[in-house]
Amino acid sequence: MKKRTKFAAILVMTLVALAGCYPQGPDFIEDLDTVLTHFRDGYDFSAKLTYARPDQIVKVTGNLEEGDTPTYIPDAVAAPILARIDQNMAALGYQKVDISADPDLVLPVASWEATTIYYYYDYWSYWWGGYYPYWGWGYPPYVSSYTTGTLFMGLVDPTLESANGNILFQWTGAGSGILTSSFSPARVNSAIDRAFAQSPYLKTN
Amino acid sequence: MKKLLIIFFLAGSIPAFSQALTTMEYSMGFATGDLSDFISAPSFRGFTTSFKKFVHPNVAAGVEFGWNVFYDEEPTDVYTQGNFAYSGKQYRYSNQFPMLVRADYYFKPGEMINPYVGLGLGTMYTLRNTDMGQYRIEEDAWHFLMKPEVGVEFEMNPGFAFTVNSKYYGGFGAGGLAAQGYFTINVGAVFKP
Repeated sequence: MKKRTKFAAILVMTLVALAGCYPQGPDFIEDLDTVLTHFRDGYDFSAKLTYARPDQIVKVTGNLEEGDTPTYIPDAVAAPILARIDQNMAALGYQKVDISADPDLVLPVASWEATTIYYYYDYWSYWWGGYYPYWGWGYPPYVSSYTTGTLFMGLVDPTLESANGNILFQWTGAGSGILTSSFSPARVNSAIDRAFAQSPYLKTN
Repeated sequence: MKKLLIIFFLAGSIPAFSQALTTMEYSMGFATGDLSDFISAPSFRGFTTSFKKFVHPNVAAGVEFGWNVFYDEEPTDVYTQGNFAYSGKQYRYSNQFPMLVRADYYFKPGEMINPYVGLGLGTMYTLRNTDMGQYRIEEDAWHFLMKPEVGVEFEMNPGFAFTVNSKYYGGFGAGGLAAQGYFTINVGAVFKP
């Protein structure tokens, strides 16, 4: 009996020791940073040359009600992010133009704060909706879920629309977890660079 | 559960008159095949315990349970599926829980250095997790398991021995997972009440 007790004690201690040294995964917050990109089948980016984008990064906090105005992340934070996006677009061969210059592509940029996210068409139409009024208050189809602090980038061909009249993202890039209270320009820049690097089909002629 | 009951039933059928052996081992694992493709790093987190009885002067039979945790961190990489590309660091875990009935043949029973060979049959539960960002992909499967083993017992006194052995856990493909296999090197203690 005494030996059995001793054995049981050793077994329990072994199990506790094993459980205690169970691998714990990420050590740093940036280890959780991920970048997701998606493109629509059949779209030829190589024939596109110009793009336009807003000068601010809209903050998506939920569906806008009629008459609501979007809020934006502070310019001091937004400016370097937008500049980094422009650098990547330029490296791919695109030229930035004003929205009034009839660009081949428009590039909305947003930050999420919600945990479940949809394509919020109302946020995009605020900017160029005036040019394409039929992109009004569309019903947002479910896309995916992103975590707090996601940076979203999209490329839209303004001449195309979905069957229900919503804008159609030909490319989306999302950096998850990077626009948080522990904001780090290096992490954001890395996510932006990765989004473009893992989308080689964006290169234009 | 049914597999567990079968193991216990078989263990219970061992004659009661024989000498019992209770073994506890620290186990180091080295993955092969699909498990190695998923996690190439060796596992230094593992243990095995077994309960056996001699049913013949040279043969002991009983049950064995184990747990080996394989873990690896994959540097930032791009994973593509269809029109999606997902990049980030991956944290991969594979927990292996072998449960089996075993029979061992001892070459030098009663001597201080007693080599043996053994074979085990049973099942192995695999719980595989892939963590990336805030997300986790979890897969699991119950495999049919075969386990050959070679080892040596060093008897210190009639009631206690040290053991060093090597096993290969070969789990057949099951539940959407390919065959999962790994070698182990084990050191442990044998209690003979």
